[in-house]
Amino acid sequence: MLGSMQRASDPTDLLQDALNESAGGFVELRWHKKTTRGLSVEKGRVDTATASEHSGVGVRVLESGTFGFASTDRLEKGAILRAIGEARTAARASARARKERVPDLPRVALARGRFDAPGVDATLARPIEAALEMLLEVERGARASSSRVTSASTGYAEIYEEKGIVTSDGAKVWTRTVRPEFRVIAVAASGGEMQRGAEAVGVTGGWECLFEGRSANELGEKAAKQAVDLLDAGYPEGGRTRVLLSPALVGLLTHEAVGHTVEADFVASGSCAAGRLGTRVASDLVTLCDSGASEYHAGAGGTMAVDDEGVLAGRTTVIENGFLRSYLHDRESAARSGVAPTGNARAWEYDDEPLIRMRNTYIAPGTSTLEEMIAGVSDGYLLDGASNGQADANGEFMFGTREAYRIVNGKKGPLMRGVNISGSAFDVLQTVDAVGRDFRWDLGSGHCGKGQPAKVDAGGPWLSCEVVLGGRKS
Amino acid sequence: MSGTAVGRVAVKDEATTREHEDRLLSACEALVGLALRAGAHEAEAFATRAEKASASFEKGDLKLAHVDEGSSIGLRVFRDARLGFSATNQFDLESLEQVARNAVALATASPADPANRLPDVQRLEMLAPLVHPGLARLGIEEAVDYGHALVTRAQKHDARISVDGANSSVSRVAQAIHTSRGVRATESDAMVSLSISGMAIQGTDVGGFHYASDAVRDPARIEASLTALVDDFAGTAVGNLGAESARGSYQGLVLLSPDALLDIFVAPVLGAASAIAVQRGRSALGKRLGERIGAPGFSIHDRPHDVDLAGAGSFDREGQPTRDFALLEDGWLRGWLYNGYAAAVENRLSTGHARGGARSVPSLGAHAIHVAAGSGGTREALLATLGKGLLVQRFSGSVDPASGDFSGVAKSSRWVEGGRVVAPVRETLLSGNAYQLLARIVSLGSRAERVDGGARAPWALVDGVNVTAG
Repeated sequence: MLGSMQRASDPTDLLQDALNESAGGFVELRWHKKTTRGLSVEKGRVDTATASEHSGVGVRVLESGTFGFASTDRLEKGAILRAIGEARTAARASARARKERVPDLPRVALARGRFDAPGVDATLARPIEAALEMLLEVERGARASSSRVTSASTGYAEIYEEKGIVTSDGAKVWTRTVRPEFRVIAVAASGGEMQRGAEAVGVTGGWECLFEGRSANELGEKAAKQAVDLLDAGYPEGGRTRVLLSPALVGLLTHEAVGHTVEADFVASGSCAAGRLGTRVASDLVTLCDSGASEYHAGAGGTMAVDDEGVLAGRTTVIENGFLRSYLHDRESAARSGVAPTGNARAWEYDDEPLIRMRNTYIAPGTSTLEEMIAGVSDGYLLDGASNGQADANGEFMFGTREAYRIVNGKKGPLMRGVNISGSAFDVLQTVDAVGRDFRWDLGSGHCGKGQPAKVDAGGPWLSCEVVLGGRKS
Repeated sequence: MSGTAVGRVAVKDEATTREHEDRLLSACEALVGLALRAGAHEAEAFATRAEKASASFEKGDLKLAHVDEGSSIGLRVFRDARLGFSATNQFDLESLEQVARNAVALATASPADPANRLPDVQRLEMLAPLVHPGLARLGIEEAVDYGHALVTRAQKHDARISVDGANSSVSRVAQAIHTSRGVRATESDAMVSLSISGMAIQGTDVGGFHYASDAVRDPARIEASLTALVDDFAGTAVGNLGAESARGSYQGLVLLSPDALLDIFVAPVLGAASAIAVQRGRSALGKRLGERIGAPGFSIHDRPHDVDLAGAGSFDREGQPTRDFALLEDGWLRGWLYNGYAAAVENRLSTGHARGGARSVPSLGAHAIHVAAGSGGTREALLATLGKGLLVQRFSGSVDPASGDFSGVAKSSRWVEGGRVVAPVRETLLSGNAYQLLARIVSLGSRAERVDGGARAPWALVDGVNVTAG
């Protein structure tokens, strides 16, 4: 059994004690311990078997109308008080460069008490040997599934976090969360060509939740089959076309194309969502939300009860029946906009400052079955399997798909190789003409990057819309 | 056991660079000793201490001033050729003992691999100190000044500029390694890093996003870096206004910026040149060593002793010496990158390509990539050769390392006719196969430019790329 460098215990009394001894003004103290366990296996060999723990206290102060941030790796009153002093010095030293002073932060009911996400104790009690055994078995199975599979790898990672947050205006909260994830990659080769198949799942919760939809072996079999099948697949044609996006790709669309552009810091910089509250930005079939809870199905990877400013992380309806209703806020941006914070302030580790980040972002389910949606496409593609994705503040997005199927006159054709797709967020959402009824979270593995990583999730139902496809023949 | 401090790194003290290195080395030595006592047969401890002052700007205004100092130590052990690793940022004895127990416990659970052994000592040729005395004195006030200069100069460059984010930081990093095979080394580094991102806005036209960054060690170069970043960022962002669809889809020539060349062509070659990828049958280039896979004149080197690049250093993550390495010369594939593990598989020496920090098992990769310049002349000369088609400044997409297939959006791209830029272009997708198109690099610019402070590459004209207009 692996041991912790520091025992789990509520640090908020100690933080409160330090805060009480510091001088006036806004002070936010965040004790953050992150424990990770990670394993990776390739061709029967263990490449990674790690257990690490990093902990400390992040200190943010508001001084001279400016935020200052410092941190200490010691959970000791003296060290915390020194860090508060350093944060104040940093704020004062930089105040001259600040044109617009930070307004008073909005008075909201801040979180108090203890919040434990599901699955913490069961996951921590599970021996790492069990995960290693599973990785070796799935990797072996993927490699043995076809003579064309030349290599396979599997990985398991688990992030356990404890946070204690105390602020001078009333937050006093201790949270515990665990997020396990699993991935499998298979490489197949034939005639000098190689293709890769990949499957990954990640949740907030325990192992039962992680493998609720599909077992690890099923994921391994699917990755291997995908790699082999792609060897014989052709390329789609490029151009603007109607597509059916799977829940994983809808997740990428909501996260990359819309979610980032409605983060209030991007809005302030002039993103394409700026000035459009109350206006139509999507088809009336589209309702898009970001939530700290795991809506529709348990286990969404970005689930959190409280954000890193001590604000309760509720649900925010960003687009309601096609109309833009809200941005995503931290306390500062909410103060500037005269609205309530939405619980979107998140920091990756103790020595990172909170930024506006998404949690679980999704399009609400509609009424169509997938069969009905396929039948409704005269010429287009069905796309599945999320790869990477990026979006700019102007709403122009790009994301990768792993599998494509041509649809002609309502009939789905054979597998083709995945391609990247692109478009402008709100233009694409205006073209939505059907929304599926079956909902799935499908982006819980991996990280969102915005200076700092963040665990998020995204998903939705199948969606019919128009995008630009980066195919081979144009 | 009590929590007596072992080699604890003092916070915000006035210690010299050498003193910080010595403290890290002491902690590494202590941890290796604890690991051996806990049952490890071999042990390697790697520690870092980072001190950073940074200023972040948002919406053209200061967002946050951040000062920070922290240390991490990681322990890799082998027990009967079984691997275990553990890391922490707590340097008290109790925490280090727990790290040692965890690493040994993981090793006990892992299957054996005969290549699991630490590299032997190799003689190091240390670079001149990487910490410039002038940079060692900089702090939060200077970080704020540099960030403020970036933002205000960009805004003065053109009133339509909207700075989404800017960041400036002064960082100092010390590192130390000690292993049970006798590897023992320390080195420190210090840099000023600058970045700016955003777009230009004119009425309802929100131009394409652009990003520029740099990192320098010599304080005398900060001013030049600021000027170059502002010119690149603001010039490109304003140039992105009024973008239209590409004037036609085609398969043929595109002109790639150094940044796009690195992303589309160099990154997959580096992945495929990993000796581990070759050994495990997932490298698309695995059977092509000694073949000409690239166009004549296309050469890729790793130059970890080029101190103008961020990745420079005297030794790698395993304490092995770094040295100039030819990966591709005149299109010929010359060699694979080895870390200690890959070298042990073939019973040879590492090429010094172990990468990573204190918080993870050493990985494998290059340090400071140089793509050789060619004879294609200036960007304008390459535009003339292109005649008509697409100029790509940034690639936002993916390259599959197994197949080499790439697909993504051409960012900040321009339509070229008659050898001149005639319009900014939006929503244009690129695709093709990187390994196949290596041989279709038609021309390389005559100057290798610094890219984000970490690599050098020229502009490149490549044939056979699929361009899909939106």
